[in-house]
Amino acid sequence: MPNIDRRDFIKLVGAGGVGVGAGVVLRESIKHPREHLIPHVLAPEDYSSGVATWYNSVCSMCSAGCGISVRTREGRAKKIEGNPSHAVNQGGLCAVGQAGLQVLYNPDRVTGPLLQAAGRGSNDFTQITWDDGLTRVASRLDVLRAAGRGNRVAVLTRGTSGHLAELLEAFGQGLGTDRLLHYDYDHPHALHVANQRFFGEQQLPYYDLANTRHLLSFGADYLAGWLSPVHHSLGFAQSRHGGDHRGHFVQIEPRMSPSGAAADEWIPARPGTEGILALGLAHHIVASGHYEGDDVDAWQEVLSAYTLARVAQETDVSESTLRQLAESFANTRPSLAIGGDGAANNSNGVDTLVAINALNYLAGNVGEMGGVIFNPDPGGATSHSRQANYQTLAQLAESARSGEIDVLILNDANPVFTMPVASGFKAALEQIPFIVSLSSFIDETSALADVVLPSHTYLESWGDAFPEQGVGFSIGAVSQPVVAPLYDTKATGDIVLDLARRVGKPMPWNSTEECIKDGWNKIYQESDSNTKTESFESFWTALLKAGVWGKKNHRMTETSRPNANTIASIGVDAPTFSGDAEVYPFVLQPYLSTMHDGRAANLPWIQELPDAMTSVVYGSWVEMNPKTAKDLGLTEGDLVDVESPEGAVRAPILVYPAIRPDVIAMPIGQGHTNYGRYASNRGTNPLEILSPVVDENSGNVASNATRVKIVATGKHVEIVKTSGKSRDLGRDIVQTTGGDDHTAQTNSIPITVIPT
Amino acid sequence: MSFLDRITEGWRKNRKPGYYEEFDYHWAMTIDLDQCSGCGACVTACQAENNLPIVGEDAFTKGREIKWLRLEHYWEGEYPDVKLNVIPMMCQHCDSAPCETVCPVSATYHNQDGLNTQIYNRCIGTRSCAVYCPYEVRYFNYNDHAWESPLDQQLNPDVSVREKGVMEKCTFCIQRIRQAKDNAKDDGRRRVRDGEVQPACVQTCPTKAMVFGDRNDPKSQVSQSLNDPRAYKVLDELNTHSSVVYLKKVEAEG
Repeated sequence: MPNIDRRDFIKLVGAGGVGVGAGVVLRESIKHPREHLIPHVLAPEDYSSGVATWYNSVCSMCSAGCGISVRTREGRAKKIEGNPSHAVNQGGLCAVGQAGLQVLYNPDRVTGPLLQAAGRGSNDFTQITWDDGLTRVASRLDVLRAAGRGNRVAVLTRGTSGHLAELLEAFGQGLGTDRLLHYDYDHPHALHVANQRFFGEQQLPYYDLANTRHLLSFGADYLAGWLSPVHHSLGFAQSRHGGDHRGHFVQIEPRMSPSGAAADEWIPARPGTEGILALGLAHHIVASGHYEGDDVDAWQEVLSAYTLARVAQETDVSESTLRQLAESFANTRPSLAIGGDGAANNSNGVDTLVAINALNYLAGNVGEMGGVIFNPDPGGATSHSRQANYQTLAQLAESARSGEIDVLILNDANPVFTMPVASGFKAALEQIPFIVSLSSFIDETSALADVVLPSHTYLESWGDAFPEQGVGFSIGAVSQPVVAPLYDTKATGDIVLDLARRVGKPMPWNSTEECIKDGWNKIYQESDSNTKTESFESFWTALLKAGVWGKKNHRMTETSRPNANTIASIGVDAPTFSGDAEVYPFVLQPYLSTMHDGRAANLPWIQELPDAMTSVVYGSWVEMNPKTAKDLGLTEGDLVDVESPEGAVRAPILVYPAIRPDVIAMPIGQGHTNYGRYASNRGTNPLEILSPVVDENSGNVASNATRVKIVATGKHVEIVKTSGKSRDLGRDIVQTTGGDDHTAQTNSIPITVIPT
Repeated sequence: MSFLDRITEGWRKNRKPGYYEEFDYHWAMTIDLDQCSGCGACVTACQAENNLPIVGEDAFTKGREIKWLRLEHYWEGEYPDVKLNVIPMMCQHCDSAPCETVCPVSATYHNQDGLNTQIYNRCIGTRSCAVYCPYEVRYFNYNDHAWESPLDQQLNPDVSVREKGVMEKCTFCIQRIRQAKDNAKDDGRRRVRDGEVQPACVQTCPTKAMVFGDRNDPKSQVSQSLNDPRAYKVLDELNTHSSVVYLKKVEAEG
């Protein structure tokens, strides 16, 4: 330890406020005393040593758009919590939302503009200046635009909503390209198509879990990964213990998800037969006279083939279970059926979701509290209209291969990771002469970039979000920077604005903040007297402080009745799978894990968060039914190759008690080759080996439609997991009680009531 | 009275039922297992709030992870009639805590709020408390842990970072309790309001399955929750008088 006299010591301790905590500061200051001993002569506003400052903002880890309150101390973000005033999450937040801090403070962030001169994939980046980087990009864009060949520029961004989406839109128009694609692996394409077809609705409806008393979930892991998990969790809790009646939850899926574990009944139907099952229930509801509409004859006709006997045969669910399901679904008021990834990602996905819509309609759940409620306009741009499905990306790849694209601008989208290898997507991107990435991390897609112009993380930049799934009324919130930028990065919007200026197509704003503010000014001008304050500035301050904006615009639903053509078009074919069942005996179900679509794999807290079902950390695994494992002579930790017609991935077996014997499940998220020290070279990515089976109706890949075989390698590894004994062994640790002695709750939670 | 007698006397006293009623607070938590979805948000929230280290994969293989709050998974039955029961498990803040009696240096003791607290700089790392704890919720620092820069900028300045050789565990977010008490004092109130303190896990819970509060206040949400007919304590037969009470999972017929 260097010599240090008393006066220095007092100075050091006095400087405690600028550091992370006195202990750390002391050690750090001794190393670099000058850096820490300069006090703020004029402290920034909102900065007060030892006092926490909270900022409301929006979580950007997925598209649910939860409101967050970020606690900062001395200009550093310390903790993210749910914003209690935000109707989507009401104070709650999921693990990935909590871990957003590690996006901001990730050691693998790109700290400034980079040039990959040594060739793509070399990972040999040299630092360049912003001006150099922007000039390199702008010069190419300018030449193309001036020549009227702006369409040779493609923009591929992570799903972006609100005014930033409009800014990107304007940028694309300025360049003269319509190749502006948003991409999220888990975007519910099939659900949009199905709702359009059955209800004629462009926007996702609100699924009112809070008020339902009977939920039938067809492969929707609504508590962990589907649409808006935190909002669904609130609804689930409200339905179970918010009123006099405990809601009944049924989960139909071949592999038990966290939502399946929380449900009262778990029904492992054959994969891909969810729609047939739904029509079987619909058949019973109509046949038993529950449905009394005047088009009952049309329904009877279209459903006549789906007798319980046939459906039982095809779905591997007993006739008595089906009958009882149909009756409790029809007789419990209100009830609700939802269809998620497990049902949608099949070759018959859209038909399946249409069948589920029909089931809701026949049971009388449409436009009812506790059922399917249509949302009004979300109040701002959503990303759906630009979302790229598998076919769109395949077209992009085709254009790239045929040399129609000269420049690709990437923004935080990582399709190279989530597209099946069989699509040839990566090789196609490599054909594009110039790729620039605005991502904060070098992921698999950004590794192909020639120039990286790193953007701020969401905790450092302006933005806004209007959750599409809504809460029954329009809701939005502004995302504001909670800390000063850590590195030499720029906001995505600012980079785009700068590029637009450089190519001679300046937009009317100088910064993203201006653009967002301008957009909200329009919302303010159009709002009614309830929202109006003395000026826009005071509205803006109030908006940022509250961290949420809502509009009392509950939409009265005239129950849209499906017409005769719609009814006649209902029907679900048996699912098709790639690969010969003789050779490839198992259906592979890759599912969204805590790592989401892989974007959270670089966050050490998420790597160290034991999986919700298996408690595995830091790796991949292959879930297999105990009986299947026994038949194949496999036990936990046996390393196997999971082989599809397209390729193989290697991972250890995990004997999983709640999966069909003919199904193999693997979590999505691991298996990164890039993406930083915590994610790379860890586990495997099951999406690699998917066959490009496409649901023609949605244009998206049917990720549950690939057959695989299991080839033992003879090797054994230890699966790293935290659980000890997987059985209770009579210790009665988790106690249960029958439904009867359950009384009305004291434990109710406040949740949004749909204004009527 | 010898030193040992005085300590023994102290223990006896706080084991009397109602001992904490003399004081301002008796903190308790209830967790409704019928609402818990096992999502793990609480685990990460705890890690963020309390400066829990990122231990690395090797530590997990040796069972040396540090998670003040963890989810335990218990499977029941066989396919297809199989169920997964999940239970969040953290320090139960037992009023008769086996860990407290065994510590040779009294590094762990009960405070007047009914909290089982750990004094890091008194702990000499015998690990006896971890052996005595029937809930296995005490975690030992086998190593010094590093936060790779700039992850260290996230560290919560209100919570000390523990070093090698020290035992640690859930504190019910004592720093938040202290803050709330300070706020109450500044406002000229004698007591903290119900709901004013929420440990990080309770705050983030997406299903609001966890309730935290003062058991001495009969009107508090937690007191009401404690009266729920579904309330039970894990391993209650050991007479640990834990402060964490679970509400039974409901098994619906059909």
